[in-house]
Amino acid sequence: MSSAISVRRLTKDFQIGIRGLKLRAVDDLSLEIPRGQVYGLLGPNGCGKSTTLKVVLGLVSATAGEISILGHPSATAEARSRTGFLPEAPYFHKFLSGRELVTYCARLSGVRPSELAAAVEDALGLAAMTDAADRPIGTYSKGMLQRIGFAQAVVHDPELVILDEPTAGVDPVGSAAIGRMIHAMRDKGKTVVLCSHLLGQVEQVCDRVAIMDRGKLVLEGRVEDVLARRDRHVMTIEAMTPAAREAAEAALAAHGARVTSVTHPRRSLEDLFRELVTGSRDA
Amino acid sequence: MTPSLQRTLWISRVTFLEAVRQRFFAFLMVLGAAMVLSSVSFRAFDFGHGELKFIADFGFGGMFLFGSVLSVVMTAQLFFSEIDNKTALTLLAKPLSRSEFLLGKFFGAWAVLGVFVVALSGLLGVVMWAREQELVAMAEQAGKVPVTFSASGMVQFALLQWLRLGVVIAIVLTVSALARTFLFAVVVGSLAVVAGQLQWIAQDAVLKPTGSVLYGAFLWLSTRLLPNLQQFNIGDALVLGATGVPAEAVAEVALSGLAYMAAYLFVGTLVFRRREI
Repeated sequence: MSSAISVRRLTKDFQIGIRGLKLRAVDDLSLEIPRGQVYGLLGPNGCGKSTTLKVVLGLVSATAGEISILGHPSATAEARSRTGFLPEAPYFHKFLSGRELVTYCARLSGVRPSELAAAVEDALGLAAMTDAADRPIGTYSKGMLQRIGFAQAVVHDPELVILDEPTAGVDPVGSAAIGRMIHAMRDKGKTVVLCSHLLGQVEQVCDRVAIMDRGKLVLEGRVEDVLARRDRHVMTIEAMTPAAREAAEAALAAHGARVTSVTHPRRSLEDLFRELVTGSRDA
Repeated sequence: MTPSLQRTLWISRVTFLEAVRQRFFAFLMVLGAAMVLSSVSFRAFDFGHGELKFIADFGFGGMFLFGSVLSVVMTAQLFFSEIDNKTALTLLAKPLSRSEFLLGKFFGAWAVLGVFVVALSGLLGVVMWAREQELVAMAEQAGKVPVTFSASGMVQFALLQWLRLGVVIAIVLTVSALARTFLFAVVVGSLAVVAGQLQWIAQDAVLKPTGSVLYGAFLWLSTRLLPNLQQFNIGDALVLGATGVPAEAVAEVALSGLAYMAAYLFVGTLVFRRREI
């Protein structure tokens, strides 16, 4: 079976100014994104993540290289009909209601009239937007905008969902809700490509990651493989006394091992926040 | 209905909704209507022409002026709002082609101008009919032959105006597909309208012999690239003429407008296909 996205030797140059100076946004990038996984594309601002996604979706042309989506050349209607996309900082027509927007996007994505109502309700339900669906989009909070954006991206039941910074500007509760939506997509067997620089979230939801810097791929692999340090171990011990610690260190030293640090385990600020704040007004 | 046509119509529908909810549309509609209605008050300044002709010219002028402003500014705004707000990213990532997007924008904007033309020409028709009733009664008492108003001529005129504004919309969309900024599209679109109104000068000049090959080529190109928007100004003859205008002449003007519209949209689509969003 072909990859969800296959990028071979992609290069993208932008012409700047009337003298036509070249800015290389993506430099000889090759990637194979397997199907059915959540794939994180990471990197600092300006590293070429969004440009890569735009080339994949046919929104900008490649200077060199080949890209295919689900076995079809990218930028073809066939490839895009099986793909859903949530752009960075999405902006939608403010005068439409959430339901009207999702219906509009469903029709543009080829959902048949007979299946339209059910598809729209499913997408709104998945994005937890059913209650606010009939309000004008102009009244939505940032988190709700991201969620209605997610609904329009998945309304036609795509095999591949591309999310560009889906949690930018969203509070931790909204961010966790988007994380749950991503898990729900993976549970349905969909491929999700998540472009972000919120590393904590990527670590929690992604199966594989690729890290880009200055247009180049610098690391790619399974999350546990790239993060694990095989030469270090962590033990969590309850009720440790100084005497117990000395004895443990001596026992380890007898086997040639050495304790390099002893600290108290911490929970993340995000975990603490989510524990204390049960929900935001628009959740 | 083919899927492609359905997608185009959905883009048109949302474009139409966006446009009619803008204050700019309502503002120009009110201004145009006020100009048509005020023509009755200003009829004393008819410069020696018949009253109905004065009312008609005043109304036609308002329709052309505000219709042109609406066609240029609103079309450029509708296009650039999608690009600048990045809603085009969301839409074009779907199985929607660039030509469907551009044609959807065109038909949405053209439908808005259709509403504008129908409303103003309807209002003008009512104003002219009401004044005609009074003038006919006065002429009969004086034993003169009155100038009458043709409702069917008004319908033909409204259709031709709609076509003319459609040509303007197609030009503005083509310029917008190429332009980087809203302001550039509005300025170039406005210049195109002015040049189209003056195109007949180039048509006259091209018939006269010229010593310069370069100048001759420039004139020839001007008459081919720019539509002659003055050819749509046959409202007087259609609405007030005793004999009307031959159907062949009206059809020729309409076909010329349709041809320019199709040609500009074709070029606009080619340009927009290469644009990076």
